[in-house]
Amino acid sequence: MSATGETPTHHPALQVEDLHVSYGSKRAVDGVSIQIHEGEIFGLLGPNGAGKTSTLSAIEGLLRPDSGSIRIGDLDTGANPSAAKARMGVQLQSTSFPNDLTIREIVRLYAGLYGVPLSRADIDDLLGEIHLEEEASKRFSQLSGGQQKRVSLLIATIHNPPLVLLDEPTSGLDPQARRQLWDRIERLRDTGRSILLTTHSMEEAQAVCQRVAIIDRGKLLTVDTPAGLIEKHKDDPRVRKVARGQVTLDDVFIGLTGSEIRD
Amino acid sequence: MSSATIAPSARVPTVSGILGALLRADFTVQLRNGRALVLTLIVPLVLLYAQFAGKRAVQLGDPLFRVATAISFGIASIAILGYTATVARDREKGVFQRLRVTPAPTWTIMVSRLAVQLVSMLAMTVVVLLAAAVVEKVSLDPAGYVLTLLAVIFSSAVFLGVGQALVGLIKSTDTINAVGRLVYLPLFGLGLFAHSQIFGTTFETISRWSPAGAVSTLLGGAMRPAAWSAETWGALLASILYSLAFAGVGIRWFQWSTR
Repeated sequence: MSATGETPTHHPALQVEDLHVSYGSKRAVDGVSIQIHEGEIFGLLGPNGAGKTSTLSAIEGLLRPDSGSIRIGDLDTGANPSAAKARMGVQLQSTSFPNDLTIREIVRLYAGLYGVPLSRADIDDLLGEIHLEEEASKRFSQLSGGQQKRVSLLIATIHNPPLVLLDEPTSGLDPQARRQLWDRIERLRDTGRSILLTTHSMEEAQAVCQRVAIIDRGKLLTVDTPAGLIEKHKDDPRVRKVARGQVTLDDVFIGLTGSEIRD
Repeated sequence: MSSATIAPSARVPTVSGILGALLRADFTVQLRNGRALVLTLIVPLVLLYAQFAGKRAVQLGDPLFRVATAISFGIASIAILGYTATVARDREKGVFQRLRVTPAPTWTIMVSRLAVQLVSMLAMTVVVLLAAAVVEKVSLDPAGYVLTLLAVIFSSAVFLGVGQALVGLIKSTDTINAVGRLVYLPLFGLGLFAHSQIFGTTFETISRWSPAGAVSTLLGGAMRPAAWSAETWGALLASILYSLAFAGVGIRWFQWSTR
């Protein structure tokens, strides 16, 4: 299914067309097409195993799609993988950094990998911006979950990429840390970046995303603004069946993807 | 930086810059890894001392061969126990996946890891040669020292190839650690008797052309440039072939993620 919703007013920051990804005989992504506009936060929603992370992994260059095309701005990621990676910032679902390095050294490493020259003072300033100046000499594993996510987001954006990919950025965080991260994500958007994030949280999708897509069993089911999705599907019998009163985005999600538990 | 204006198109960093960043980080990790330092220095020094102690030590071969064996043992320890453990651990934790989403070409990630191991092996060789000269009074002429360090590069390729094959064929970190220990002792033990007829000539021949035996022979030959022989050339060729075979297997089946 093609992306729908608002008509793009700019050159798309990310354009994925007819993406197919398989693991052996299992098809993980089946003809997904999405388009993300400049300065937009786009949410990809889906139950476990729906194909969210596989879609993201293909965009990130971690796995090779069977077919389809991915363009970041005017750049084909398959033809120019290094240039494409230089244009995107990535926060993986479970990020790990070498545990023998301090936070300061980790920031320095990734700045170097993106060709960003940073002095020790620059790094300390950056850590100060995310309130981690006191933790600069600690190991990544010594940080709390919220602190780890802040470091990961800092590293994902250290080279000022026009496109930021966040795989379940707030999973496992307490409400305070989640709100702080939402603020940071919105600030990224306000500086002109485009953001694609995956999430299980309808609250998160409604709070920060301009548009959301629901994906299940590798297929894109629907795309629109959160309010637009509710309006579009509120009379769908599957949605009505699970709704308890006024239809919510949660109801739309469960109605379209089913009520069974996924592992 | 995070609040700066976005560049219209982010520039691709240079390979030298990427390699510099990776090498700095990998060397820092190596120096902070106490287990790696023990494997790198203590183990070959203990073996060096053990080979010169006792009345039957002479049956293991001439003094230079015994020094070569200690170096070979050190190289095997670093490659099969140290290198495989760090690669398996970082793969399982997702460290490689995080690196792979940067513009760094994948070969730079591995070259940096291998370069750190090679430097560790060269440093270990210098320490063992110094210990051999000071404690056991076994010294080389200047050409011997240079040639020995060159031979260490070929020798390291053999054992790093074995280590790469292990992490290429096995995904689980625990299994790699267990198999590494199982492979390490027989592999090394076989080479220990490359110049000894304690177990008969057939065993000696097998031992001599085993990976560790070929490495010990090559190192022993390099320590005595004047006596470089057809057998030393054969050991060099065998080392190259072992390196290509093991590394080929390790690269062909290596996966960056355990998922």
